[in-house]
Amino acid sequence: MLYSLENLTRKHGDRTVLHIDKLDIEPEQIYTLIGPNGAGKTSLLQILAFLDQPSSGRMHFLDKEVSFDQKQLYALRRQVVLLDQTPIMFTGSVRQNVEFGLQVRKVARTERRQRIEEALELVGMERFADYDAQGLSGGETKRVALARALVLQPEVLLCDEPTANVDNENQEIILKIIDKINQEHKASVIFSTHYLAQGQRLAHQTLLLQNGELADVASENIYRVTVVERREDTLVCQLTGQLFLTLPHHILPDAVQTAKLQIDPNGVILNPKTTNPAEGNLLSGHITDLAQDSGRIRVVINVGVRLVLVLPMTQYRQEKPGIGEKMQIFIPHSSMYCRRINLTR
Amino acid sequence: MDLLFDSVRSALLLFMSFDAELVDIVMVSLKVSFSATLIASVLGIPGGFLVAYAVFPGKRMVLTVLNTLLALPTVVIGLLVYSFISRRGILGSFDLLYTQKAMVIGQVILIVPVIMTLTIAAISRIDKRYRLTALTLGATRYQMALVILKEARYGIFAAVIAAFGRVIAEVGISMMLGGNAKGFTRTMTTAMALEYDKGEFVLSVALGITLMTIAFVINMLFHLLQGRTGNDAL
Repeated sequence: MLYSLENLTRKHGDRTVLHIDKLDIEPEQIYTLIGPNGAGKTSLLQILAFLDQPSSGRMHFLDKEVSFDQKQLYALRRQVVLLDQTPIMFTGSVRQNVEFGLQVRKVARTERRQRIEEALELVGMERFADYDAQGLSGGETKRVALARALVLQPEVLLCDEPTANVDNENQEIILKIIDKINQEHKASVIFSTHYLAQGQRLAHQTLLLQNGELADVASENIYRVTVVERREDTLVCQLTGQLFLTLPHHILPDAVQTAKLQIDPNGVILNPKTTNPAEGNLLSGHITDLAQDSGRIRVVINVGVRLVLVLPMTQYRQEKPGIGEKMQIFIPHSSMYCRRINLTR
Repeated sequence: MDLLFDSVRSALLLFMSFDAELVDIVMVSLKVSFSATLIASVLGIPGGFLVAYAVFPGKRMVLTVLNTLLALPTVVIGLLVYSFISRRGILGSFDLLYTQKAMVIGQVILIVPVIMTLTIAAISRIDKRYRLTALTLGATRYQMALVILKEARYGIFAAVIAAFGRVIAEVGISMMLGGNAKGFTRTMTTAMALEYDKGEFVLSVALGITLMTIAFVINMLFHLLQGRTGNDAL
């Protein structure tokens, strides 16, 4: 395992900001850390980066226990780099900033020069090498900060909301780089994000943090359902209120009466041309919210419950749904998942 | 107004004539003040950094004591150092009393708290992300400290300049520990006090103008340095 955390807590005064019973993180994978503000994402990333110490609990890195004594920390920090949500540049040029980590590692000058050029090229900032680093825009700063981290060839790259506060173009560049260093350099990447779709698009695994605790890995569109009728091929389930949905029979065992239903926002079809009732649910509702999310459009529609779906930009331009507009949606059975509710929790 | 005009004219004449006594006095002042500022900086800047960054019981008390020491009268420092270096004092055998070294010792005691408190203030204003960024990029504590000091350099320069201003303008320590010996320990401030006692107001004010001019030139140099190296300089 890359990381293994057991009963780990982080407290600030009396307030527990992080409480993780058990978490194993595998090497060479991309993990996305999802959760609302104040969920403990930054606290967890800082502990994983060995920049903060847990208040209690055990942590293993590459199967060795982390004791958090200074000597061990220096060695560990040289394998892991944390990219801050709003990175800060040291006084000096872009080149000097990227060089910092290599200098403290006493890397030879010729090798330093070569690695700096490669790193800046990777993030597309080679033209800015001699610019004043503190004069860059937000997106450029993030890219230079990424180069400053990648030049060190870390085993683990931790990114705290790498695409926050940057334009679409820079978001795409940053995400591509993250993917590339995982694919080509086999670096493990853990990044936090607010954007679910973005995280799921890139990550092999998703971690959900809520109130400092790891919750079931899930996404939006989670509903508690009660089975009201069992037919030959389908189940009829009641959601909150008067909304009924059909589910494929196989997704819940016979004995289960209540479950958590999860609907994939990417699988829901807006304004379907043809539908087959045997393959899903046709509903209609009013659009209540529209938002851009990594070059795609996140649509919130009230169909009796609040449901989120994600549209590609091309489809959005064709359909042009507006807030308040009544529209039909089709939820295919293939985009519905059920989990039995654990009554002991 | 006549006094002021006469004093300015006298000051100009003294400057232009390179009056040997004035040059001596200015040189002693600068030598003692620069030495004291240098030693106090070597002690006060790392000291301020440690207090700013270290977490230890009684830190608040240390900060309160340092702030209190800012108001320490020069006469009290003079008396304290005198009790150590006078013939009957513990360090009496070193023959330090009425020497420039004694003045430097007293002045260092005077401005170490100034440099420490202003360094603490400068470092406390530095964004915490600098520290975390340096550490995550693999810096040791020492390397991280250098990063912080570099980023806080304008605040620290300001602390050093303020300390220099404090010592070049002080009179109590110089008088009590230096003794105002002509050519050896007579500084601009002690000379001014002497000329005032003698009723030589014009020369006294001329020396005052000289002192202010030196202070102004040093501050100008500091601002020029800031302008050349930092865009955020005012």
